[in-house]
Amino acid sequence: MYRQGDVLMIPVEKEQVPACAPVPRDRRGRMILARGEATGHAHVVGGPGLALVADLDDPERMFIDVPTHGRVTHEEHGPISLPAGHYRVVRQREYVPGAFRPVAD
Amino acid sequence: MRLTHAQEAMAAAIEDQWLAAAVQTGPAGRKEAEAGVRAAYRLAGLPEPERIYWLGSPRAGALAASLLRAPTPGSPVAALDAGPVSPAAGAASDAAAGSGPAASVAGPEWVAGVHAELRRQGWAPGESGGAAVRRQVRTEPWAAARKAALAALGADGWAQLSAAAGRRSWGLVMDLIAGRLRLRLGEDITADLGDAAPAVRMPVLDAIYGQHDGTWLATFEAADRLCPDAGLMTRLTGLAEVARHSGWWWAFERVAVLTERPGLLERDNVGRLHRGEGAAMQFPDGYGLWAWRGMPIPPGLAAELPHLTLDRIRSEKNAEIRRVVLEHFGYERYLREAGARRLGTDETGTLWWLDLPGDEPLVMVEVVNSTPEPDGTSRVYWLRVPPETRTAREGVAWTFGLTAEEYHPLIQT
Repeated sequence: MYRQGDVLMIPVEKEQVPACAPVPRDRRGRMILARGEATGHAHVVGGPGLALVADLDDPERMFIDVPTHGRVTHEEHGPISLPAGHYRVVRQREYVPGAFRPVAD
Repeated sequence: MRLTHAQEAMAAAIEDQWLAAAVQTGPAGRKEAEAGVRAAYRLAGLPEPERIYWLGSPRAGALAASLLRAPTPGSPVAALDAGPVSPAAGAASDAAAGSGPAASVAGPEWVAGVHAELRRQGWAPGESGGAAVRRQVRTEPWAAARKAALAALGADGWAQLSAAAGRRSWGLVMDLIAGRLRLRLGEDITADLGDAAPAVRMPVLDAIYGQHDGTWLATFEAADRLCPDAGLMTRLTGLAEVARHSGWWWAFERVAVLTERPGLLERDNVGRLHRGEGAAMQFPDGYGLWAWRGMPIPPGLAAELPHLTLDRIRSEKNAEIRRVVLEHFGYERYLREAGARRLGTDETGTLWWLDLPGDEPLVMVEVVNSTPEPDGTSRVYWLRVPPETRTAREGVAWTFGLTAEEYHPLIQT
């Protein structure tokens, strides 16, 4: 389990990954786990053969397939190395009575 | 077809441009927008509008649209035309706060302002703009382009392209900006206009979203780039030109009503309308939306924000408003000044507990950011967690949807 700021990457078994489609790359060709709309800063993942995919039934649920190794970077946080495996991506939330909402990192 | 990474990146770049247009502030490009309107009519096979009116906000635009939509004598909108001064609900407070009564026009002062503006641009009360042509100008070209894009790209290609060029926009623009504006506009009109409100609210549903239409135009522009021979943008060029240069607008047979973009638009880091010291979205005619982290706040409250006290916060009955004032006051300061209890500290942070009379307790974790700031200090931040939380670890784990036992990051930065 790896954490970079408001994003957590949780190792999962391959069987736990649902039917997914690739998450489109951004205009700079990057794979983005989460982005700050005001700062433009982004949690970006990359690595040989690495794929960022999203649950077909819930595009907000993302997974990372890391065949050999990967790396997560961000403008304000230290980089993180990801060993081979499958990961679920979770963005931090905050409690609001009666609901919850994402954290503005 | 199946898109390559480069094609997806191209689509994302186009979406970025339309996202920028959607949050663009400042005066409309009137010449370009008007040319776009005329093109949209021509492309729909309609005669160009005889006159184009410009208003300062979507609120003014909705009223203008309701006045131009053939008001029948005796209708509540006709009463707004030139009726006696009989302030509707909400008008009284406007008059009290504003500067004098509104000439011979019923309703709050901004109604008189719209009348004066329309007259200045050549409108005579009772003039009708004819029937709405939104369907011909916007809906039908959109539907035709969608059909053509599906045929050109295939269902899979279209789905992939929609994800690459439209997924972020819907959430950021339609949910967090245009949707908020539409909702708030309806509420404000209802509060201000009494009997005439339903007639003025109707155009809110009938608006063409101008700069906010980029959310769907982006996908078609990207599709057009992939299949240049399919003519996917051909019938949409007029709409796109208006969307690049102005705010919401209305299309009628003989006239079009265009509106300015906001002069100011402030959002937080996840894209929600957010500002403490004024409207988060403010139009040049003065119409504004106050919001705190996406939550609309009454303008009266905004004036109080700089002078909040513990008693004022404690006495707030509305839970959502209390959350706004708490955040504005600062959780840390409130916990300190109100005498919060420290429930414990572990390697994830410190858990604080404060009873709120008549409400669920305020429970927060104080967390130290793992990556030091450039000056070597570490930023502390606060996260509100469910009231049943008993340890800091449990609280932080909850923010990621995990239990305290499950939450064990090997590395954090």
